[in-house]
Amino acid sequence: MQKLIKDGAIVDNTYSLVNDAEQVISENSIVPMQQWIENADTLGKVAGIWIDAGEGVEALENQDLSQLDVVAVNFPAFADGRGFSYGRLVRERLGFKGEVRAIGNFIPDQLGYLLRCGFSAFDFEQDVNLEKALELHKPFSVAYQGDVADPRPVFLRRG
Amino acid sequence: MYQYDAIDQQLVQERVAQFRDQTRRYLNNELSEQEFLPLRLQNGLYVQRYAPMLRVAIPYGMLSSAQLRTLADIGRRYDKGYGHFSTRQNLQFNWPTLESVPDILAELAEVEMHAVQTSGNCIRNTTTDQYAGVIADEIVDPRPYCELIRQWSTFHPEFAFLPRKFKIAVNATESADRAATQVHDIGLHIKKNDAGEIGFKVIVGGGLGRTPMVGVTISEFVPREDLLTYLDAIIRVYNQNGRRDNKYKARIKILVKALGIDAFRKLVDAEWEHLRGKESTVPMSEFERLQGFFTEPAYKALEEQPQSLTDKLANSAGFARWYERNTFSHKKAGYRIVTLTLKKNGQAPGDATSEQMDKAADLADKYSFGELRVSHEQNLVLADVQQDQLVELWEAAKESGFATPTLGLLTDMICCPGGDFCALANAKSIPIAKQIQDTFDDLDYLYDIGEVDLNISGCMNACGHHHVGNIGILGVDKKGEEFYQVSMGGASGHDASIGKILGPSFAQEEIGSVMKRIIDLYVDQRTEEERFIDTFRRIGIKPFKEAAYAKAN
Repeated sequence: MQKLIKDGAIVDNTYSLVNDAEQVISENSIVPMQQWIENADTLGKVAGIWIDAGEGVEALENQDLSQLDVVAVNFPAFADGRGFSYGRLVRERLGFKGEVRAIGNFIPDQLGYLLRCGFSAFDFEQDVNLEKALELHKPFSVAYQGDVADPRPVFLRRG
Repeated sequence: MYQYDAIDQQLVQERVAQFRDQTRRYLNNELSEQEFLPLRLQNGLYVQRYAPMLRVAIPYGMLSSAQLRTLADIGRRYDKGYGHFSTRQNLQFNWPTLESVPDILAELAEVEMHAVQTSGNCIRNTTTDQYAGVIADEIVDPRPYCELIRQWSTFHPEFAFLPRKFKIAVNATESADRAATQVHDIGLHIKKNDAGEIGFKVIVGGGLGRTPMVGVTISEFVPREDLLTYLDAIIRVYNQNGRRDNKYKARIKILVKALGIDAFRKLVDAEWEHLRGKESTVPMSEFERLQGFFTEPAYKALEEQPQSLTDKLANSAGFARWYERNTFSHKKAGYRIVTLTLKKNGQAPGDATSEQMDKAADLADKYSFGELRVSHEQNLVLADVQQDQLVELWEAAKESGFATPTLGLLTDMICCPGGDFCALANAKSIPIAKQIQDTFDDLDYLYDIGEVDLNISGCMNACGHHHVGNIGILGVDKKGEEFYQVSMGGASGHDASIGKILGPSFAQEEIGSVMKRIIDLYVDQRTEEERFIDTFRRIGIKPFKEAAYAKAN
């Protein structure tokens, strides 16, 4: 089974990503956000949804996310930073408490920022040495801005 | 000036370690070229035509003499003994080796400096007026606000991979805009409202490059405590909606233009509603803390225009010229702001040798409380010089090549490094600057011509700000040959405007004579009080066009 980093550990990926209409959907599926919204009645229980770059999170504002275990955010290219905003919005605006998973083409050197934006799991599309990636799985020990972990900017924390 | 505390110091230290590891992994082939690219760019490291170029951040242009000495020393030991001051108040080294960059960063960290976010698609060094804090008509000192923005933008976790680079500039005077704020992604004008509260007029969507635009006002007044939440809102809207399919259409100006300012404002306001009043609202205690770093130095009670100064002004035409051009009035009686110009003929505009940097640091220690500023026009500024020491300083500045008395005149050009160094450039720019300096080498004539902003860029990326030069020169490539397109009528101050292209481009050797014909026409057409730009605005481009393309006879 494919591995990923979750909550700072290398674990098996127990979910399957649905990115093709032919795929069978199960309780372990992470389905496209729009598909989930549009087929709420017929889909049944799924593990989660994934948001593609360009979709934004507005469509989720009136949805009950508490029934989902995971909200995934796709990075079509690692330089495409839309997902950083999506992660924060899913946490801070939509109040999602479950797993926020980065999927797609991000790179291990982005983990520090992704963690601060509320991501808790990292499923690399590319072949990445996860042991080495874990070494980068930490933000700097101090930060100027508030973030998902601590909303207080440095000026509220300076002694 | 601002002094690091344990948090600031820890952050730069950790950054050095992070970049050292990234460089090591790249050299070990553990990081691909493509992956290393944005990581090194976010640390100011370009790979140039001949060598890497490292751009060191000089936050809002403020430098201590100790920092400048470190830059001089780095220039000597890791480069070829010089550096280049850029229009964004930074310093560039053109010849370091890639392997040495982590060590350079470690040395910079020792003097509270870094190269964070001086390049890449992130929020860049915030710039401001080089006379901040020492001019009489300033609303408030903008530097505490620049420092607030510096901290907020440094390692902002959400905005490190924007569609494109993002530049913020701050201005705090009604009488001038020396930071070219209207051609920045965000321009901030510090204001006081009727109740005496401090806030910002916010201008968005200005920029140069391929599609130059003057920014538009998105808010007339954002209270200062709301500044960071408002900036977060603007950039969050941009991060999500800016174009990512075409790098030439990715700047925020394109988004603002495409949506229209009203629709863009609506998106920002909707986002701001969620952020306003939350934790990133800046408390009064933080403004007070930051202002505490920018208090007045120990000024003496001095007489304005002392006898020794007026005598010298009367007796020395050379000194009077320098005083008139290169010094500026100070808010304190008996003091003067002095610009050390880096525009000596024969030296690339903005370049300073390590020896000159050491000398400037000495002059700062001796005459200006050990501090300097870098200006947008690529000069150095000593902000607090006693008027009774000006003669002495002038003599010393002359010896070091800092006293070319042409500040604001035609030969005080803004010029990018161009094809001599930069891999992006289509054409060289330094030889063009040299040709113009040679053409206009007569000081009396230069003084008679008066104030002209002449800006030169070696390519469309417009690092030399050619669009906002009263005269702009742009290097273009035509089938492998270097040509130069001339534009006119640009301005970067409160009256910001984008220049218009004069017509077909000129061969390199023609530029000097073309400039001569343009200037001759101005001298012929001007009224007594008119600056170059005023005459241009009155008579329009047509006569200039005719003059520029007139065959020599």
